[in-house]
Amino acid sequence: MTTTDVSKPILEIQGLGIDFSTESGTVHAVRGVDLHVRPGETLALVGESGSGKSSVALAAMGLLSNNATASGSIVVGDLDIVSADEGALRGVRGSTVSMVFQEPATALDPLTRIGWQIAEVVRNHRPVSKADAFAEAVDLLRRVGIPDPDSRASAFPFQLSGGQRQRVVIAMAIANSPRLLIADEPTTALDVTVQAEILELLRKLAVDTGTGVLLVTHNMGVVADFADRVAVMLRGEIVETGSVEEVLLTPQHEYTQGLLAAVPRLSTEFDSDAGTAAETPAEPVISLTDVTVRFGRGAHTVHALDSVSFDVRAGETVGLVGESGSGKSTAARVALGLIKPTSGAVGLFGQDLRTLRGRARRTLQSGIGVVLQDPVASLDARMSVGEIIAEPLRVHRRGIGGAERARLVAEALEAVRLPASMAWRAPRELSGGQRQRVSLARALVLKPRLLVADEPTSALDVSVQKSVLEVIGELQSHLGFACLFVSHDLAVVQDFCSRVVVMRNGRIEEQGLTGHTLVDPTTDYTRRLLAAVPVPDPIVQRDRRQARLAALAAVTTTESLEQDHA
Amino acid sequence: MATTLYLLRRLLQAVVVIFIVTVVVFCLLHSLPGGPARGILGAQATPQQLAQFNREQGLDKPLVVQYVIYLGQLLRGDLGVSYTYNQSVAQLIVQRLPKTLVLTILQAVVALVIAIPLGMWQAARRNRPIDYVITTVSFVAYSAPAFFLGLILIIVFSQTIRLFPSTAPGGDTLASVFAQPQALVLPVVTGAAAMVAVFSRYMRSSTLENLGEDYVRTARAGGASGTGILVRHVFRNSLTSVVAMLGYYVPVLFGGSLVVEQLFNYPGMGLLFWNAAQSSDYPVLLGCVLIISVATVVGTLLADVLQTIIDPRVKAGRA
Repeated sequence: MTTTDVSKPILEIQGLGIDFSTESGTVHAVRGVDLHVRPGETLALVGESGSGKSSVALAAMGLLSNNATASGSIVVGDLDIVSADEGALRGVRGSTVSMVFQEPATALDPLTRIGWQIAEVVRNHRPVSKADAFAEAVDLLRRVGIPDPDSRASAFPFQLSGGQRQRVVIAMAIANSPRLLIADEPTTALDVTVQAEILELLRKLAVDTGTGVLLVTHNMGVVADFADRVAVMLRGEIVETGSVEEVLLTPQHEYTQGLLAAVPRLSTEFDSDAGTAAETPAEPVISLTDVTVRFGRGAHTVHALDSVSFDVRAGETVGLVGESGSGKSTAARVALGLIKPTSGAVGLFGQDLRTLRGRARRTLQSGIGVVLQDPVASLDARMSVGEIIAEPLRVHRRGIGGAERARLVAEALEAVRLPASMAWRAPRELSGGQRQRVSLARALVLKPRLLVADEPTSALDVSVQKSVLEVIGELQSHLGFACLFVSHDLAVVQDFCSRVVVMRNGRIEEQGLTGHTLVDPTTDYTRRLLAAVPVPDPIVQRDRRQARLAALAAVTTTESLEQDHA
Repeated sequence: MATTLYLLRRLLQAVVVIFIVTVVVFCLLHSLPGGPARGILGAQATPQQLAQFNREQGLDKPLVVQYVIYLGQLLRGDLGVSYTYNQSVAQLIVQRLPKTLVLTILQAVVALVIAIPLGMWQAARRNRPIDYVITTVSFVAYSAPAFFLGLILIIVFSQTIRLFPSTAPGGDTLASVFAQPQALVLPVVTGAAAMVAVFSRYMRSSTLENLGEDYVRTARAGGASGTGILVRHVFRNSLTSVVAMLGYYVPVLFGGSLVVEQLFNYPGMGLLFWNAAQSSDYPVLLGCVLIISVATVVGTLLADVLQTIIDPRVKAGRA
């Protein structure tokens, strides 16, 4: 890196427009975008889904899909990406500018050893022998913090954890010391502790080499943690831009203000009133007692749950939190009766689920409603919204007639604040938030006593998340159902749940009132989880980061490495 | 260890499958009208003669008893004696099977060598004129019956320009088959045409699917060329689904040999089966079906083994 041209941006976008030609006509996804990134600085491009932020990132790499046309100019180094031919683009991709993608699970070729995938990027741009390129790949793996890089270089992607795969993608991106790094939601698919590690790694690499970073994200906490400047996108246009302090602390545009207001924030205030809320002990609606679930046999046994006990009482919301693989979704499935525990008891509405069979069991289970994570996959695309919501009625309330069923469907739609006319629409015509509300209407149409919600809002934008959570909360206060709320988002859980169960490796780490447990936890694990959550305030977040790194340096880092390794 | 267990399990499954196949075929054959007595003794045979034949061959016994007898012989490795050839079925199969294997393996190899690059090439040029042309030709090749295609080939290349002979190599030994390689051209082409069409379509769609995967974008972002991505990444990833189909294609190949061998008068399993079916030669028919089902099971097993070689995730139980 030369220091003479520090003032000259490495990325300069002027008047960028991106049009997609679709069957229903041309969509102007991006209009009149101007932005620049200087060497050594990080610009965060934020916005909700559909704002066009990822299109801008892909356009800067010349990687837009075939039905997209870009206009305006994107200058990377000295090359105008918009007018460059494929050969010239190939010359800069992976050398001058490189990219880190959102989904580490699919970003790597599943059938090629990771060392060779990195070596390929090296050889794309430098005349190096295969053996030398592989040796470089091993060095790169060491730089991105993969333990035992000599042997890991021969691993296939499926043998690595999500965090490690993202490190491999980063190793590919920095293989030729790029001057610009584009990171498109680089930590969205990762757990918070892994997210903190990956952000730390990216920051270190950027600082060490003076690389400019264009960070595309929807997570304001990540922005506060990482960015120097912020550009906010709304429907294809940049509505606000400025330093990270300006934009996050004193937002000028109405949209930015609304966006920031919708972000759930981790409270650090100990809630001394929280104790009173739980002083009315209602009957447990569901209780798990010493539940153990094992999958597989012999050496391959997976202990998915290990002596897990908790209950959810009428009218209360219990959050089930933990990192991926902690067993939180398995516990939710046990509660739903979808997984039979290897040992332990599941009590549902005061009855033992183990002793019930056939019709009695089905009748009991009709008292549970469920909302799942994926708003697309959890609704049958071939059914209308009305049929989807009516299905539980057809199964469990066979006696009622068509008119009555239609009335109940309309009622359920109204309850989730959707118009009754939506019953005739197909799921594909609905937005993600509307789909989740349809899921919720389906879950509530039988007036359940228990709602199990497995990451119901993690696929949604923050503003949509807010309205869906509001609907659930409001209905709960009317109908009084108990709610088991599975989530990886501690801020949402703190905001939404009265009690919380923290899980790790199939065991319960601790449980208690959210106002206590998520503010002043008793275990190091919960403390580390909380410390890793980035808050959308750059000044506070800087202190949190320092404190977290200091705490990590104090204790040995082996534990988090093991986590990543697993 | 895990691989041995896996193979053992698959073998056990194979035995069960073959057993079920014999039951089904046995029932089907014996429910057909006519029966072998009429076929062998001719139209003039008296009812007494027919009854005597049935008694001698055990065909008057209840179906279940007949089946148990057949199964007992089978377990001793005895496939029975042909009604029409005066030879043991085992002998017939030993003579005929290698010839059919030569023909079908040649067809498969030729077809795959053409179809796999063709499918990838088409995927890389999707929705351009040449893609549409090849797609159309593929559909024609796929929908043209083999006997029709074979006849056209004979008329053009054998009768009109006299490039290749219209009959396959005769003789009983494999050496005599390979002594006339030019005579194998038309049978192989006839049998391979549909397979080229089918597998180039598989490869095309599999390649297209893989070209849309995230890892292709990652490779492009690393500066790889289009050809480099196809050769280094997409090829292997696309091959896995094609290889899986290969196992299921074995019975289709055998079925095709029925037509091809009849058309080119090539004395393999297909012709044997054809003739046996004409004369209701039950032991030969059962023997042929048994061999085809064994070949199918072995074919799918080989395809699975090939898959574990291409895709390390299969072995780890992750895919």
